[in-house]
Amino acid sequence: MPALGVRVENVTKQLGHTTALCQVSTVFEPGLVHGIVGPNGAGKTTLMRVLTGLLHPTQGRVEYYDQAGPVSPAQAKYAEGYFPQEPSLYPDLSCREHLEFFRDLYDLNQADYEPRMQELFEATGMSAFTERPAGKLSGGMYKKLGLMCVLLNRPRLLLLDEPTVGVDPVSRQELWDLVYGFAGQNTTVVLTTSYMDEAQRCAKVHVLDGGHLKAAASPQELMRRFNVTQFADIFLKP
Amino acid sequence: MKLFLRRVRSVASKEYKHILRDPFTLVVALVLPLVFVGMFGFVIDLDYKHMRLYVRDNDQTSVSRRFLQEVSSSGYFDQIPLHSPAQADAALQKNNTPAVLIIKPGFGRYVKSGDPASPGQLQLLTDGTDNVQASIIQIYMRGIVEATTALFAGEDAPAASSRIRTRFLFNPELSSRWFIVPALSTVIIGLLAIMLTALTVAKEWENGSMELLLSTPVRPTEIILGKLIPYFLLSLFDVLVVFVLALTVFRIPFEGSFLLYMVACAIYVTGALALGLVISVVTRQQQAAIQFAFAVGLLPSFIFSGFIFPIENMPLFFQYFTALFPQRWFLLISRTLFLSDAGLAPLAPAFWGIGLFAAGMITLAVFKFKTDVEP
Repeated sequence: MPALGVRVENVTKQLGHTTALCQVSTVFEPGLVHGIVGPNGAGKTTLMRVLTGLLHPTQGRVEYYDQAGPVSPAQAKYAEGYFPQEPSLYPDLSCREHLEFFRDLYDLNQADYEPRMQELFEATGMSAFTERPAGKLSGGMYKKLGLMCVLLNRPRLLLLDEPTVGVDPVSRQELWDLVYGFAGQNTTVVLTTSYMDEAQRCAKVHVLDGGHLKAAASPQELMRRFNVTQFADIFLKP
Repeated sequence: MKLFLRRVRSVASKEYKHILRDPFTLVVALVLPLVFVGMFGFVIDLDYKHMRLYVRDNDQTSVSRRFLQEVSSSGYFDQIPLHSPAQADAALQKNNTPAVLIIKPGFGRYVKSGDPASPGQLQLLTDGTDNVQASIIQIYMRGIVEATTALFAGEDAPAASSRIRTRFLFNPELSSRWFIVPALSTVIIGLLAIMLTALTVAKEWENGSMELLLSTPVRPTEIILGKLIPYFLLSLFDVLVVFVLALTVFRIPFEGSFLLYMVACAIYVTGALALGLVISVVTRQQQAAIQFAFAVGLLPSFIFSGFIFPIENMPLFFQYFTALFPQRWFLLISRTLFLSDAGLAPLAPAFWGIGLFAAGMITLAVFKFKTDVEP
């Protein structure tokens, strides 16, 4: 199945008295690794939740599409995988139990599940920890388990909210290798990050600040546009 | 349908693992019913027996002595004799004197002759700060006086022919345990089922796992049913524990249909669990959920169910108001089926009461369950 793209048009999201997103328009092209960057409170998580359908735009719209044409939100729900920023796994369930739970939620048959599970455990280097409860995993392994849960369904749109926060440098590298390994023709990856070095690894970066989209382009194009030599400096420009 | 069942089973299986691995849930679910049964079954006794009665016999006749013998053998009173008026005064000045009985001179003569012109008098002084106990002492004493009078007056006395001969059906000894223990399931489910499920969804919101769950294709009905099933079984287990303890430890008879009783339990448990889910879905916070659960689980069980306070004695508005609470209806079913062999027909309104509540709460839980993280 081909990767899924998302078109965001004039999306405004009001959360109480706060305007979390204001007239945001951008496109997440299929098959690329997209980064949403911005300081704390920029609206990254809100945009991510809007993309997953967990928040509904106050104004504007979100459209999913693939190479064949538009895809309905209901169909997109089956095709996307989302791992939130906050700890969201069950501390008392083991890694294997987590995968079995998500296998049933995604209605995977055992014949498909077995090789995918093996592949994911090997790719993440977690084969030795299948029976360890999620609450006893290190920060990096915890994130890897979350990633495994959402990758189990082979999502056409993979949404990761701050996947490397609280993770040591080695695990960060491993997570990135994992994400790049799955991105491509069949999967679009959208992730949020506060680390500028990570943003530079993305094919396209969407810069958010105060709920406004400042720019969306490749890292090189953004540096040229903001006239900076260091990517992190784009937030220092007025 | 197959997918629906698979997801329900999966959520239920996950919940079952949480229960087994969470000591708090296990303690609440398995130990609390035993605590309740012990507390209500052994400690709380609504029967007034062996009340202290200070007695001053100023008549000192065979009749007054026989009368006091009757008082003792009733089992309601433990007599403490007063030998002087000063002792009587001292007893009255104590704060813990339930009652003082003074037999005035001439009591025996009157009882024997039945002459209304020279009545022998008894004076009963009761502590009105406990009005319930004072009333009960008065009623018991009146009964003993009547019995003693009849004894000495013989069959010719006109009073004897008009005495009421009373038989208490279904609870011949008017044991308060027979009254309380069959109603315990109402309180235990009312508290446990609501509290346990109130925590389950709120916990997922607080832990952040609900966000992950909602991003999958799982539907609200699948989550709700999956979460209800393990707690449903756990609550039925608690019902059975109380049932077995009632029969074996407290020797309460069970006269009705066991099948009917279990059907009623199943409906009542479903309603209570669904109410817990509604609380959980609305509050999204464990602390708030548990406070709500206590408020809507415990208070109606005690106050609006007839567990201790008779509904017939409430103001008319509250008599109708209690009809909103399934505790009232289930308690009626439980007591009736324990103590009588009544069938479905006389209990039909009560079954409607718990059935409508359960249907309403499930509908509300599904309706209120949000598939997004909107505040």
